[in-house]
Amino acid sequence: VIKLALPAGDLRGPVARVLAAAGLHVEGYGEGSRSYVLSIAGGGGVARVFREKDIPIQIALGNYDIGVCGLAWIEELRARFPGQPVVPLRDLGVGRSALFAAAAGGMDRLVARPGLRIASEFPNVAEAFALGARLPAYRVQAVWGAAEAYPPEDADIAVVAAADEAALAAHGLTPLHRLLDSSAWLIANADSLAARDLAPLLDPLARGARRGGAPGLRLPPPLPTDGRAPATAVRSREALRLALPDGHQQRHIVAALRDAALLPPSGYDEAECVRRPASPLEGLEIKVLRPHDMPQLVATGEIDLAATGRDCLIEHLSRFPSSPVDEVADLQRGQYNLAAVVSEDVPADDLAGALAYWHGQGRRVIRVASEFPGIADSYARGRHLGRYQIIPIAGASEGFVPEDADLLIEGTETGTTLAVNRLKAIDLIFRSTSVLIAGKGRRLSGRRRELYRHVVSALRRAAMRTGAV
Amino acid sequence: MRDTLPEEMERFRRVEEAFRSACFRWGYREIRTPVLEHLHLFTTAGTLSPQMLGRVYSFLDWDGWSGERVVLRPDSTIPSARLYAESMNGRVAKLFYVQNVFRFAEGDESREDWQCGVELIGERRPLGDVELILLGREVLSSLGLEVDVRLSHPGLIRAVLARAGLDAAEQLALYDRILDGDTSVLAELQGRLPDVGASLEVLLAVEGEGSAYLSNLRASFAGSIPGLAAPLDELSVVAGALEALDCRCRISAAMVRNFEYYTGPAFQFEVAGRRVGGGGRYDALVSLVGGRQAPASGFALEAGDIAAALPARPSAGPRVATVTAAKSDRRSLAAAFRLAAALRERGLAVQVAGSAPRGAPRVSVSGKGFLLAGAGGKARRLAAVEDVAQALRSVLQ
Repeated sequence: VIKLALPAGDLRGPVARVLAAAGLHVEGYGEGSRSYVLSIAGGGGVARVFREKDIPIQIALGNYDIGVCGLAWIEELRARFPGQPVVPLRDLGVGRSALFAAAAGGMDRLVARPGLRIASEFPNVAEAFALGARLPAYRVQAVWGAAEAYPPEDADIAVVAAADEAALAAHGLTPLHRLLDSSAWLIANADSLAARDLAPLLDPLARGARRGGAPGLRLPPPLPTDGRAPATAVRSREALRLALPDGHQQRHIVAALRDAALLPPSGYDEAECVRRPASPLEGLEIKVLRPHDMPQLVATGEIDLAATGRDCLIEHLSRFPSSPVDEVADLQRGQYNLAAVVSEDVPADDLAGALAYWHGQGRRVIRVASEFPGIADSYARGRHLGRYQIIPIAGASEGFVPEDADLLIEGTETGTTLAVNRLKAIDLIFRSTSVLIAGKGRRLSGRRRELYRHVVSALRRAAMRTGAV
Repeated sequence: MRDTLPEEMERFRRVEEAFRSACFRWGYREIRTPVLEHLHLFTTAGTLSPQMLGRVYSFLDWDGWSGERVVLRPDSTIPSARLYAESMNGRVAKLFYVQNVFRFAEGDESREDWQCGVELIGERRPLGDVELILLGREVLSSLGLEVDVRLSHPGLIRAVLARAGLDAAEQLALYDRILDGDTSVLAELQGRLPDVGASLEVLLAVEGEGSAYLSNLRASFAGSIPGLAAPLDELSVVAGALEALDCRCRISAAMVRNFEYYTGPAFQFEVAGRRVGGGGRYDALVSLVGGRQAPASGFALEAGDIAAALPARPSAGPRVATVTAAKSDRRSLAAAFRLAAALRERGLAVQVAGSAPRGAPRVSVSGKGFLLAGAGGKARRLAAVEDVAQALRSVLQ
């Protein structure tokens, strides 16, 4: 059976149309089925839906024969691991965008100033960019999303995907360098290509696609230093900076802010999410970011206070145990359990039983997939999994077990999604809720201290009422 | 990933000892730099080349939340320059080290290499380059190896590429192709430099012998590529001094690979046609890593490659005696360990645990004294520790 990896997210619709035009009907894919494993009518084979970022990795691992994803994600893999057996075959002509290095706030050309901060969802590309330009003592902040919102306060440069320069300008960014013209590509595992007959799927897909080789990254030439002082991580400022989360955490935080009478007047509620909402208090500056990225920004001092999930905080502390970030309030909302999850077919109710089963089956390496690789690694070490492999994934995790992973470190609220995907939790790791985090031992003064105390105490009072209810 | 077995370790120590004692004889002092360094030390222009940076092991440390990475030391010269800038700035420093470097290698090749390195920082005169070449040659010769010296200067190729009007990125790409032996580059360059009369092949693809070859290059090219004059002058001084000391060297313009920091004469040591070490002048590096501008040069010998090339040493025979207890009770064990300690105090190598090497002497301890076997002739009973020591000395030393 030929195994095909298909993207979830924005690319799902356009790719479904390409498949349909090629005479391949992937049951439920275009319709947004919640099932992760889909059968393919017309070409034979089986399809699995992944977050786009995970597809080149799955192809490189040989778990899937062919796949479709943006060229930018292929280059993200190849920038760090150039020898991986991933072969771009055809440009499918959809999902066009470009990768830019861009800046805001007065930086209108690329300069080699020491200590520049580069934020990106594409950290390997960002590293290659910095090395190509020979930026001295640069720092790459790998972020889950919203990198376009980082300059100028939280990064000097963002390496971002955007449709064009106009789309960058809409975020207040100036392009400094165009790194790649990206679109959705049909890719294959080199070994599968060499040894397996993939023609039933390749033929129809390649027929309608554009010919030509995939463009590579265009890296900037080495730049001389401009002689200016190093960029500093934390600028002195008057305002207190509060970060609020987007995504599934947003509704919980909106409720918490509403209860604490701190809801911004516009730009952040159940229906709306702008990156810089208006502030309800003078001297309070609000930015909306991915919850995963907040502990890092608090640790470096860019953000004073952030609402995020305890899962994100523990993930950060698992990777950086001495990071100066602390939980200052449990907001008592958005509760779920982070658990070790296995297939229902594993005849065990706890981890010891599952390990005994896998070892009995001759499995030498336990594959652990998670959106929280730091927590997963810490768990695997602490629970003596022996030889294990952590597979960091961007999402759609339920579909990984049992084919592509043995164990998931996974969030579960009611257990319904697990049951639908024939999974079961065998070990509770911790209970996560929305929390307020701040810098450990950081001293604020004047208006900033006043605002900090006001926001924290208002949210704590609201949380106590929520907890009591 | 590779283990070093006892026999290989013995060869490695021979290399290390020859190197260390030569360095001390020439007035150098030993240093050590950390295995884990900040990545930014190696990423600034003029340090490691992008190709080399693509093979380093870098990662976020446990306190790397700011995104600043650390790296397993891929090179020892840059950390030595940092050490000098931080702790010895302004002085003439004669430093050496024996330490490992880590770089990705394909397949089964080792990703860890041990280097015997020397850095001479603060010495502007060419006598520093000459001293380093003679020192490296002396180390290899003292190990019984026949050494060939190759001499180069990165300024030669840079002058040609700059004269061809190439930008920095194009220069880098072409430089690598030249080093890879891609002869089509020569035609490309010749096309860009129609006014250069002589064939660039003479300069970029041919190796010559010492001062004579350098004179020929100057006569052929210095008029049309003025940038060649300075590197040719520097090379002439070094090559001329070495020739006068009976150290013949071959000149090769295309030799220096993957290190952007070389600014002056560079050299390689070869044994049986294989590169076993090299180095050169790096006058800009100390200031790039935060120190005051300081002239410098250095080299590193690949200890593993040299150890592998060493001629086998005839077996020295058994060098350790084994003491055994007649019984396993505490009194007998204590007596055995007591005898072993007394013999070691007398300068002998003596073990208690482990089996006796084939043909090596064994001493059994009992209430009746000491029974010595394997020391030539029949086993014999000895009464005093000193008698045992004397008998073992004749076998072991």
